[in-house]
Amino acid sequence: MQENNEALLQSDIVISTSRLTKAFGKLIAVNDLHLQVMRGDVFGFLGPNGSGKTTTIRMLLGLIRPTAGRAVIFGMDVIQHMPSILPRIGAIVETPVFYPYLSGMDNLHVVGAASGMVSGKANQRRIDEVLELVELHAQAKMAYRKYSLGMKQRLGIAAALLTDPELVLLDEPTNGLDPAGMFEIRQLIQRLAALGKTIFLSSHLLNEVQQVCNRVAILQKGNLIKQGNVSELLRGSEQVLVRLNTSEETQQAKLILQEAKERGADWLRAVHVQMDRQGQPTLRIDAPKSCSTEINALLARNNLFAAELHPYEGSLEEIYLQLTTPSIPSGTRIGMAALAGSGTIAQQPEPIPTIETVSEGKGGTR
Amino acid sequence: MSLTPQVSTEGTLPPPARTGSVILGRQDYLSVLLRLIGMELYKLRRRTMSKVLGILAFAIALIVFLLVSLGTFFVLNTPPETFRASCQGQGSQPTNCSQLSAAQLAQNKQDLLQTVSEPLRLPDSLNLIVQVALPLGAILIVILVGSMAGGEFSLGTVRLMFTRGPTRTQFLLAKVGATLVCTVIGVLLMSITGILSGQLLNLASGIGQNFNFFSAGWSGHMVLYVLAAMLNWSIYAIIAIFFGTLGRSTVAGMMGALMWFLIEAILGGLLNLAGIFSRGPFGDFLKAIPDYFIGNNIGALMQNQEQYIFGASSFSLFNIFGASSSTISNMHALIVLAVYLAAFIGLAWWINERRDVTN
Repeated sequence: MQENNEALLQSDIVISTSRLTKAFGKLIAVNDLHLQVMRGDVFGFLGPNGSGKTTTIRMLLGLIRPTAGRAVIFGMDVIQHMPSILPRIGAIVETPVFYPYLSGMDNLHVVGAASGMVSGKANQRRIDEVLELVELHAQAKMAYRKYSLGMKQRLGIAAALLTDPELVLLDEPTNGLDPAGMFEIRQLIQRLAALGKTIFLSSHLLNEVQQVCNRVAILQKGNLIKQGNVSELLRGSEQVLVRLNTSEETQQAKLILQEAKERGADWLRAVHVQMDRQGQPTLRIDAPKSCSTEINALLARNNLFAAELHPYEGSLEEIYLQLTTPSIPSGTRIGMAALAGSGTIAQQPEPIPTIETVSEGKGGTR
Repeated sequence: MSLTPQVSTEGTLPPPARTGSVILGRQDYLSVLLRLIGMELYKLRRRTMSKVLGILAFAIALIVFLLVSLGTFFVLNTPPETFRASCQGQGSQPTNCSQLSAAQLAQNKQDLLQTVSEPLRLPDSLNLIVQVALPLGAILIVILVGSMAGGEFSLGTVRLMFTRGPTRTQFLLAKVGATLVCTVIGVLLMSITGILSGQLLNLASGIGQNFNFFSAGWSGHMVLYVLAAMLNWSIYAIIAIFFGTLGRSTVAGMMGALMWFLIEAILGGLLNLAGIFSRGPFGDFLKAIPDYFIGNNIGALMQNQEQYIFGASSFSLFNIFGASSSTISNMHALIVLAVYLAAFIGLAWWINERRDVTN
C-alpha cells in the first residue's frame, strides 16, 4: 500500500531537479538546485535579479546545458529526452520575441508549425482561441513590430498556450503589463490551474505569486533558500500584535508569555517588544493568528488586559525580503503595511518599525 | 518542507489529451523536418527583403539582356553604308570596299547583326545569364540566407524556436533545406527570365532561333551546368549559414560568406601569380592551392559542361581569375566541394548543438 502511494507520488512529479548547477566561467549562476514541482501545482519561482531563475528555466527547456546535476520533466531526463518533453511544455523565457515582419496571427502559425501542428487553416480555430484568451483578437493581423510591450507579452502567453500544454513555464509573464493586464494574467493562470495545468511561474511580483501560487521556491545567488507551500510559509510568519496600557504591563506580559513557552506552549515561537512610531511599547508575538484568543485569555488570567490585539497573517513579500535581504531583520513589516502607520492596524496591523527588538533568548536590546 | 527532494526518473508521465482544437501533424523526423522547411519558406515569403532580392534578381537578368540588346539595336539603326569599314578587317585579302554593292553591304550588316545578337538566343543566352547569375546571384542568396540564419539570433527568436519541440539539428536542416529551395528557385528565376528576355529582344533582330544545337546530350549537359550553378549558390549560402550561426548575427552570416567569396578570388589570383614567379616545386605547389578553392572547383564543373553546351570558345567568368580550373576533373571538384559542404554544415551543426542559448 505504501509502495503504491510512493509510486503514485512519483508519477505526480512534473519537474524534479537534483544538484542542478550551472556555471558561466567562475560565476556560478545556479548552485546545487533541488526542486520538485507536482502535477497541478502553481509553482512560484522567486528570487532577486541575477539569482538564477532564468538560468534554471533555460536549463529546464534545454536552452543551456547544466554544468552538473540533472533535471527531470515528466519523468524524462531533459538532456536525453528533450524532443519528447518540449511538445508538452509551453514557455515564455524572458521577454518573448517574435518575427517583427509577421502579424501576431502569422507568428502563431509559425509557432504552430514549429510545435508540430499541421500548417494552414486547420489550426485557425485554436489560434483564434488563444488570441481570444489573451485578448489580442482585435490586433491579430497587426504587424508584431507595432505591438506594445504588453501586447508582445500577451502574444508570448498565447504562443505558450497554443498547443494546450500540460506544463506552462512563465518567466516574468506580467512584464510590461498594466495593472489590469496583470489582473487578467492572474485570472488566466488561475483558470489554467483549474484546468489541471502545472504552472511554473517566475516573477518579482510577490503579491501576484501569493495570490496564484500554492507552492514557491526562493532562490538567492543561485542557491535555493526556501521551498514549500505558500500557506505553510505564511503560517510560519503569522504574528499577533498586542498593545497594553503601560510599559510595565508590556514587559510583564512578555515574561508571562515566555514562561508559558517554557512550560510547553510550543505554538509560541518568540516574543518581542517593539516601540511604535508614537513611542508606545507593543508586544510582537510570533504565533499562529488562530492563537489570539488563547494569548488574550492567558494575559487576562494574569490581570493584563490588552488595549489592542491584532492577528497578522504576514505576506510572501515579507518572507521573501527577510530571506533575500540580510539588512531586514526577521519580523519586520515591509511594504504598504509599514507605510500605513500604527493608526491603521485595525484592518492591517501596523508593521511596527523595529526600533527596539527584544528577542527571546537574547533578552537584550539591539 | 524539504530543500532536497529525491529525483526520480521512474515512470514517465503519460501526456493528457489536448483540447480538440489542437490538430497535430505527423511527428516522425522527416515530417517534422518538411514542416519546418515549409515554415522557413513561409517566413522568407513574408519578408520584404526576400521580395526585394527577388525583384533585384529579376531586374539583373532583364537589365543584362537589355544592355546586350543595345548592340543589336545599334546595328539595326545604322545605315548599311557604315559597314564599309568592316571590310578593312580582311587584311590579307584586301577588298575595295567602295565597290561593295548594296546587297553586300546589307549582308555585312546582317552578319554583324547575327554576331551581336547571338547572346540573345539560346544556347548563348543561357551561358550569359548563368555567368552573370554566378557572382551576382550568389551575393543575393548570401544576403538572404545570412539574414535567415543569423537573424534568428539577432532577433532572439532562436529561443522561441528551440523551445517548441523539434531538435536543433532539425532546425538547422530546415534552414539548409529552405536554402536549397531558394537556390533552385533563384537560379531558375534568373535563367528563365534571362532566356525569355533574350528571346523577346531578339525578335527585333529578325533572326530566328535555331534549335539545331538541341539534343538529348545537350539537354543532359545543360541540366548539369545549371545544377553546377545551383551548387555554387548553395555552397556560399551554406557558408552564410555557418557564419550566421557562428557569429549569431545577420551581419556575420552575410559578411562571412561574402568575404570568403572575395578573399578566395583574390587569393587564387595572387597564388597563381606567385606560382608563376616562384618556379620549381614551390611554384607548382602555390599554383596547385587554388585547385582546392570553392570557386575554382565550381568553375571546373561548369567549364567541363560548357564545352558540350557552348563549345570551347565560350566565355567563362572563372577564366578571369587565371585559375587552372579546366585542368580539374569533375571527380576532384565534386570531392572538394563535398568536403567543404560537409565541413560547413558539420561545424554549424556542432556549434548549434553545443552552444548555450543565452541573451
